[in-house]
Amino acid sequence: MGLLRYTVRRLLQAIPVMIGIVTITFFLSNAVPGDPVDVMLGPSPAQRQEAAIRAKFGLDKPLWLRYINYLGDVSPIWLSTVDSFPYVAPEYGIDFGRSINYGTPVSRKIKERLPVTLLLMGSAFTFALVTAVPLGVISAHRRNQPTDHVSRIVALIGVSTPSFWIGLQLIIIFAFELSLLPSNSLVMPWNLPPPAAEAGLLSVEFWGIVAAHQVTVVKHLILPTITLGTLQMAAITRIERSAMLEQLSQEYVRLARAYGVSDSKILRKHAFRPAQLPVITIVGLNLTTAFGGAVLTETVFEINGMGRLILQGVLTIDYPLIMGTTVVFGVMFVIGVILTDISYAYIDPRVSYGDQEA
Amino acid sequence: MSGETPPSTRDEPSEIDLTAERDESGVEEAEMEARVGLSYTLSQLRRDPTALAGLAIISVTTTVAIVATIDAWVLDYWFAQNFWYHPLRGPHAETRLPPYGVSNTFFDASQTTMAHPLGTDNRGRDVAVRLFYGTRIAITVGFLSTTIGMVGGTLTGAVAGYYGGWIDDVLMRTAEMLYAIPFLILVIVIVSVLDPQRQNALSVAMIGVGIASMPTFARLIRSRVFSVREEEYVEAAEAAGVKDRWIILRHVIPNSFAPVLVQATLQIGVAILIIAGLSFLGFGAQPPQPSWGQMLSKARGLMIPNPWFSIFPGICILLTVVGFNLLGDGLRDAADPRIQNK
Repeated sequence: MGLLRYTVRRLLQAIPVMIGIVTITFFLSNAVPGDPVDVMLGPSPAQRQEAAIRAKFGLDKPLWLRYINYLGDVSPIWLSTVDSFPYVAPEYGIDFGRSINYGTPVSRKIKERLPVTLLLMGSAFTFALVTAVPLGVISAHRRNQPTDHVSRIVALIGVSTPSFWIGLQLIIIFAFELSLLPSNSLVMPWNLPPPAAEAGLLSVEFWGIVAAHQVTVVKHLILPTITLGTLQMAAITRIERSAMLEQLSQEYVRLARAYGVSDSKILRKHAFRPAQLPVITIVGLNLTTAFGGAVLTETVFEINGMGRLILQGVLTIDYPLIMGTTVVFGVMFVIGVILTDISYAYIDPRVSYGDQEA
Repeated sequence: MSGETPPSTRDEPSEIDLTAERDESGVEEAEMEARVGLSYTLSQLRRDPTALAGLAIISVTTTVAIVATIDAWVLDYWFAQNFWYHPLRGPHAETRLPPYGVSNTFFDASQTTMAHPLGTDNRGRDVAVRLFYGTRIAITVGFLSTTIGMVGGTLTGAVAGYYGGWIDDVLMRTAEMLYAIPFLILVIVIVSVLDPQRQNALSVAMIGVGIASMPTFARLIRSRVFSVREEEYVEAAEAAGVKDRWIILRHVIPNSFAPVLVQATLQIGVAILIIAGLSFLGFGAQPPQPSWGQMLSKARGLMIPNPWFSIFPGICILLTVVGFNLLGDGLRDAADPRIQNK
């Protein structure tokens, strides 16, 4: 039973969960009271215009038909009988419908916003892992010494602080008092300033512009990364510490010590790898808290990412937008958990790929 | 999704495995079993200074919350009127007065007064008084939402774990799907569905956070039920013809209670943080309710001229949540004799 088959099986298992997510999202957002068409047209719309707009967004159909249609639209592959009855016609591609508020397809909005949120979350988790793993290991190694106490206090404060408050304080200190870093929006690494297009690809100026642009990107990223990453950093530090402590109390470590293997070698060669399993679990499960954190971070720093998109959707009763963004968040979480499980199986050779269930 | 890896190799960090091999502390297995009960957990707690510190913080905040409630309901804002100004109706002082002893562009330190030790906000309301009443909101909301999640999740998890089969499948798959939608976004959508005018947004957010935290409790209790179900006394009760409902309520749940208590303590902290975040976004407490998150939301627009608006509510949230985390960690260590982190 190989890793590949395991991966395929996990992906297949994810399908009902995805359908469930779409179902929950669909009925939840359609339960939002208030009629988006009323919001759009004002108090006394012309009847024909109203009917036309309802037809345009598919709001003239009954709820169950809209649900079936929506399920078909968001599925990559779907055998449709609804529009082509009595024939069965295959449909390909993902379609989240058209945003009522923006008038553009939801998928275009998501394509625009998703990279921003992914950049933010990627950099936050990188920051969290790069700081938390060494901190946790050192903390376990120097147990009950000052280093350990400091790192535990940092982790405790990290899990107890509201992330948006950290963001506000960072803005006050670094943006306003010290004027060191920008406090709003993100810059995408590939959105080069216009002069870059004029300079040739091989010219020195071009690469100078690119380098300067990447510095701007990093400057914009620092504060939001710390804001979003602190909670994850603290959570990972705590897990890393207790996992390392557990490994260090195992018999094989005692045996290695008895053989005279040095402490640092035990940490690096033996205890480190098995201690990463709970850390991976926590990273996978914490993706949802990070999505929530992204909503807050994007609000504090006025970053136009997925989080603000979903907030705008809720505030303007934009069903397709709410559904589309929530489904994308759900799918990202499911993919994250599958990646977690796969890397779990990769690190731990004892994982039996769930054969006993099959 | 997340619960489907082989159970043999996955270790839930908060899970307590009764059947696992103990290390050689010279304690008999039977005595160990007896130790894991709730009373043992509480007796262990007394030896743990950090947990006691957490308990102290919780006691103080809870007392403040109770005093604020009594003051608002029974004494008709007697405290506020006699010590500081009324948070909503009292005589307005200067607006945006800095904390005592601090000067800024508009006021120098001599103009600040101990009547407003933490300054006043943009409407001349005393910041300290608002924080005082904010405690009531945070503590109430934290406890109530966790109770909802704990009761709902425990019952669901116990039923799923005890009966197994398709009931288990349906309940746990639903829980996983709820879990896959980000907590905060789920509650935002729930609030906008149930309360579009935001008249009772705080209560709805509280219930929403409770519902969204149910999967955590359900999974925790379910994994415990699997081990408890095999116990002899449960088999004996079944053999004696005791009703399922009664077995679940009388045996299964009480014997899984220690980890639930740990989780609930930590969850109160999480709930306070999330509701603060929701209030910050405008989906929780609404002005003029003096909630900490809502105060931060107002402070965001005024953080350049008046940074203290944003400092104090954050510190209040931080301290309260630290209290619950300290106690929760202490409870976890006390409930599981294998982990000796201290």
